[in-house]
Formats: sequence, structure tokens, C-alpha cells
Amino acid sequence: MELIFWWMIPVALLLAGATYWALRKGPGGDESVPRPVAHSHRLTELPEYQAAVRRHRRWLTVAAVAGGVAMAAAVVAAARPAERSTVSPEQRNRDIILCLDASGSMSSADAAVAEVFARLAQGFDGERLGLTVFDSSAVQVIPLTDDYDYVQEQLKVAKEAFDGTPGSAGFLDGTWNGAGSSLIGDGLASCVQGFPATGALTPGGTGRTEERSRSVILATDNFVSGEPIFTLEEAGSLARKQGVRVYALNPGDFDYGTDPEQPGAKLRAVAEGTGGAYYPLDSPEAAADIIRRVQSTEATAFSAAPQAAVSDRAEIPLGIALVSGLVLAGATWRLRR
Amino acid sequence: MPSLLTRVKSKMSIFAHRKARGMLDGEYGSVFKGRSLDFDDLRVYVPGDEVRDIDWKASARHGSPLIKRYVAVRRQAVLLVTDTGRNMAALSFGGEEKKDIAVMALGVVGYLAQRHGDVVGLVCGDGSSTRSLPAKAGEAHLERLLRDVNGHTGLSSPPSSLGEQLSYVARNYRQRMLLFVVADEVVVDAAMEQLLRRLRAQHEVLWLTVRDAELAGPASVRHAGGGEPADAAPADRFDVADALLLPGRLVVSDAVIRAYAAAQEQRDMKRQAVLRRLGIAHVHAGSSHDVLPAVFTLLERHRRGK
Repeated sequence: MELIFWWMIPVALLLAGATYWALRKGPGGDESVPRPVAHSHRLTELPEYQAAVRRHRRWLTVAAVAGGVAMAAAVVAAARPAERSTVSPEQRNRDIILCLDASGSMSSADAAVAEVFARLAQGFDGERLGLTVFDSSAVQVIPLTDDYDYVQEQLKVAKEAFDGTPGSAGFLDGTWNGAGSSLIGDGLASCVQGFPATGALTPGGTGRTEERSRSVILATDNFVSGEPIFTLEEAGSLARKQGVRVYALNPGDFDYGTDPEQPGAKLRAVAEGTGGAYYPLDSPEAAADIIRRVQSTEATAFSAAPQAAVSDRAEIPLGIALVSGLVLAGATWRLRR
Repeated sequence: MPSLLTRVKSKMSIFAHRKARGMLDGEYGSVFKGRSLDFDDLRVYVPGDEVRDIDWKASARHGSPLIKRYVAVRRQAVLLVTDTGRNMAALSFGGEEKKDIAVMALGVVGYLAQRHGDVVGLVCGDGSSTRSLPAKAGEAHLERLLRDVNGHTGLSSPPSSLGEQLSYVARNYRQRMLLFVVADEVVVDAAMEQLLRRLRAQHEVLWLTVRDAELAGPASVRHAGGGEPADAAPADRFDVADALLLPGRLVVSDAVIRAYAAAQEQRDMKRQAVLRRLGIAHVHAGSSHDVLPAVFTLLERHRRGK
């Protein structure tokens, strides 16, 4: 808490002192000159009069205190008390798309990812979340949105679907329209396309989209069967072009040796090529841990210079001034009666 | 400075036109039964009476000698006693300074006396000193007395103490006189009552009380200034004795007004009771318009009181 126009206070004190001095010095010549009377003790000794004097004095005190407090509070408010805080905007403008491979081997890992994000969405503020499910074709289940209630609800449905809860299979409808299965490259490309184009206008048309970090959480084992339109590498370069980081989670990293043609190694190469990371997933429970790690690397990756935000905090002095002003008005009314 | 006596006389002429002309003179004359050469009454002759005082015609009708009795022509001395302390510079009930009312009352009685051929003296003063001016005849002398009272009364005068003036009279005058006391609403305490009893034994005493400004109540608002609404607070006042400020707002409550009125009535009753007990004729005057009727009533009361 600091005062922006701190010099207001000495100025106000000086003014108050000068006013007091002038009032003391100057003649008390108002329009009603007191008139001389004799035997005033005949009035002042009446208990009723003394009670009236006490009452008057009490209200005068109230009025004086309220007036003083109102003045002081107004001066403090005029000096603009402000709170200087540092905000880290990168925490607030992330876009994350969950890109989940819906092939049967992935369901437990997908369920874990969906659950983790359903929980994380509760604490989000400003981040946008999307969900795309793919197998042979990609379905955008949740477009990029900050409607966290909807996100949570959909993630819950997704988790049930991945867990194989009866009656929830419809969730994955539309993911088998293509030829083959687990077309990872196509899925990743779809996810990358789910971000708005850089430099696109905001929905309101008020200006260009602000700079937001973009990341894709890609859960896949990278076992492709079929002919994808995009290869994984092509999708990776698309992501790089769009400035999207890919974090790959692989629950089935069965690579053997250091051959770069193995699926796990390829996935790692693509993910790291976009500036993201690759995490082999030993068990679905480890997903939460990994996602936390991803979150924190995201945070550090985007830790820009913290911006100082100055917000006026005049509500307390103004509130005090209002209350004491009301008290003053009441006391003045009482004194005038 | 216009003559104070002229003011008194003009007021009296207005009054005299309203009442019967000369009535005041008659009232004044009756105070001493001092109808100078006037015939008073008849009584039965006793040996030793002046033979030339026998009213022969009345004796013839009556069958036995009767003596005409005259009141001796005698110069009365009137002593004006008043207070020229600070209290008299304060406001009266009617809003004027109390000393203006006092000067008017002293002037009326003094003028009546000097028209009657009496001599008029003055004892006035305050708590610290008392002055006396000798009893003399003539308008010029009366004017001097009035100017003395008017000039010595001000807000810078010493505090008032009427008892000082009364005891001065008791100490310094041996002659029987008519005392005309003009004071404000003094409290007649036991000591003053004693003093008045002593004075009453020697002199005729007439007493005119100048009403003080009403400190709380409707009259206090009326004088606060012209054109103010009826529910306005009275003007701020200060006490001449100690400059204590009395804010007008404090006396608007009914409780204060009632209490003040009750106390005021009690004080008035007490003063009247004491003076009546002492056989001193007493009236109130709240403004200079009240003075002439008040003096008239005072003389009337005094005559009837005998």
C-alpha cells in the first residue's frame, strides 16, 4: 500500500493549519453579534439548561470528530492510496489442447489425462482448454474454451468413455471414419489446427488475438496402422510453424535400443522439435505427476518479466469519508434543531 | 446629544393626551398630600388654635367652631436612586438597554417633582463606588442628573450592586424624602430587606423594576431581529458580568423555556411579596413605552397603600 500523490498530505496539513490560523486570527465577525444580557446565571443554573448544554456539546463533539475524520479520509483518498503488485500474465493466457489417441490400448492413459485435467480445470483462470479425440479421424470434442464448467463436464464424460462405462461409447463416435486406425500424424495436425490462426481477429472484432502460449498434450503410443495424410514429422513441423509446443505422453514406450526409427524415439524427436517434451508413462497414475511437470515447465518457459500493476485502493478511505459525512450530516441536523 | 429631558417630556405629553391631562401631576401631588395652599379638611376647634383659622361660615352652619386645616406648603425632596453598573447596560425585556428605561423613569418622576416645585437629587453608582448629586430644583439640574446616569452606565462599568446605593442613602440622608428606586430584577435578600425596612421607616419609597431580557422563551426570539421566522432560535447573548456566551440554540427546547419561566415567576412573586410586606409600592416596566403607565400605576398604588 502506498500513496501516489503523497505530497497531498503535507499540502492538506499546511492548508488546515493556515485555515486554523486565519480563523483564530481573524475577527469572529459573523452577522449575529452577541447581545448583552444580565443575570445569565438565572438561566445557566437551571438543570434543564445544563442538560441542553451537555447535549449540544456532545453533538458538537460528534460533528467535529466526524468532520475531521471525513476531511482526513478525503485527503487520504485524494492522495491516491494504491497497491502495487506484480502480475505474471503468462499464467493467464495459455491455450492447452488435449490430444488423446482413442485407440483401445490408450484408454487407461486417456482416462488418467482426462481426470487430471478435469481437476486442473477447477483452478484455471484465463487459460483455455480444448479436447480433441482421434483414432482414424479426429473429433473436436471441446473447442478451445474457458467455460470450465463445460470443460469439466465433458472431461468427466470422456473419462467414463475411456474407462468403458456402459452407455458411454457414443462419446467416441466419429473417430473411425478414416482408413486405418491411430493416425497419429492426422490427429496431431487436427489438434494443432484447433488453435485459432495467429493474427486472427478476436470474436468481437476488437483487435488481434493477444499473444497466448499454445501447447498440446498428446497422449499416444505412436503405433500407426494405416496411411495418414500427415506424417508425424509433418504434423510436428506444422506445430512448430504455428508456435505450438507438443508434450507427448506415451504409456506404451516399448522402444528397444537407440534406433531413431522406433515409434517412441520418433515421438520424442517430434515433441522436442516443437520445444515440448516427451514423457514415457509407466502407469496411468503417473500422468498427474507428469502433467504437473508439464504445467511447471510451461510456466517457467513463459515467465516473462513480471509487470507491475498499480491499482487504486481508495475504497476504504472513501467509505470512511462517506460514513463520517453521514454522521456529520446527522449531527448538523441535530444541532440545527 | 439631544436633551434627555426633552425626550421624557415628549413622552409625557403623548401620555397626557391619552389619559386625562394633568392626571399625572395630580397623582404625584397626592403622594405627599402636598396640595400646597389647598384646603385639606375641617376639625373641631381646640383651645390654642389660631383664631384666624376658624372657618366662620362652616362654624355657623355647624353650631360649634371649626378650624380650617391646610397642609403646610413645604418643599419636598425627591431622591432618585438607581444603579449605573454594568447590569443596566444589558438588554431589557423589550430589547432596549435597561438604562434607557431607567433614564426615562427617573426623568418622568423627576420632571413631575420639579413641576411640583420639589427638589430632586440623585444617588447612583455601582458595586465599587456610589455618587450623590445634591437635591436642587430646575430642569437644567434634572437634565444633569439624567446625563449622569446615562453617561456612567456602560458595558465597561463596574458590576452592579444596588445594596451599596441603598446603604449609602441610609447612611447619608437624615431628611425625610421620597425615594424613587429604579433597579433591574434584583433579588431582595434578607440583608437588603433589612436595609429597606430601615429606609422605609424614614422615607417614602417607590420602586420601579426594569424587566430584564427574557433569556429563554418567546420574547427572547422576538427581539433577535426583524423578519425572522417564528421558530427561529434567539440570537446569541453574552452575560455582561463575565462575558459568558449563551448560544441562542440552547434555549429553544420546551423544557428549558418552561423551567426558566417557572423560575422567573417565582423570583417575581418573591420580590413582590417582600416589597409588599415592607409597604413599598412597586411596578414593572419592560420598555420605555411602559414607563408612563407604570409610573402612573406606581403613584396610584402608593396613594392607595396609605
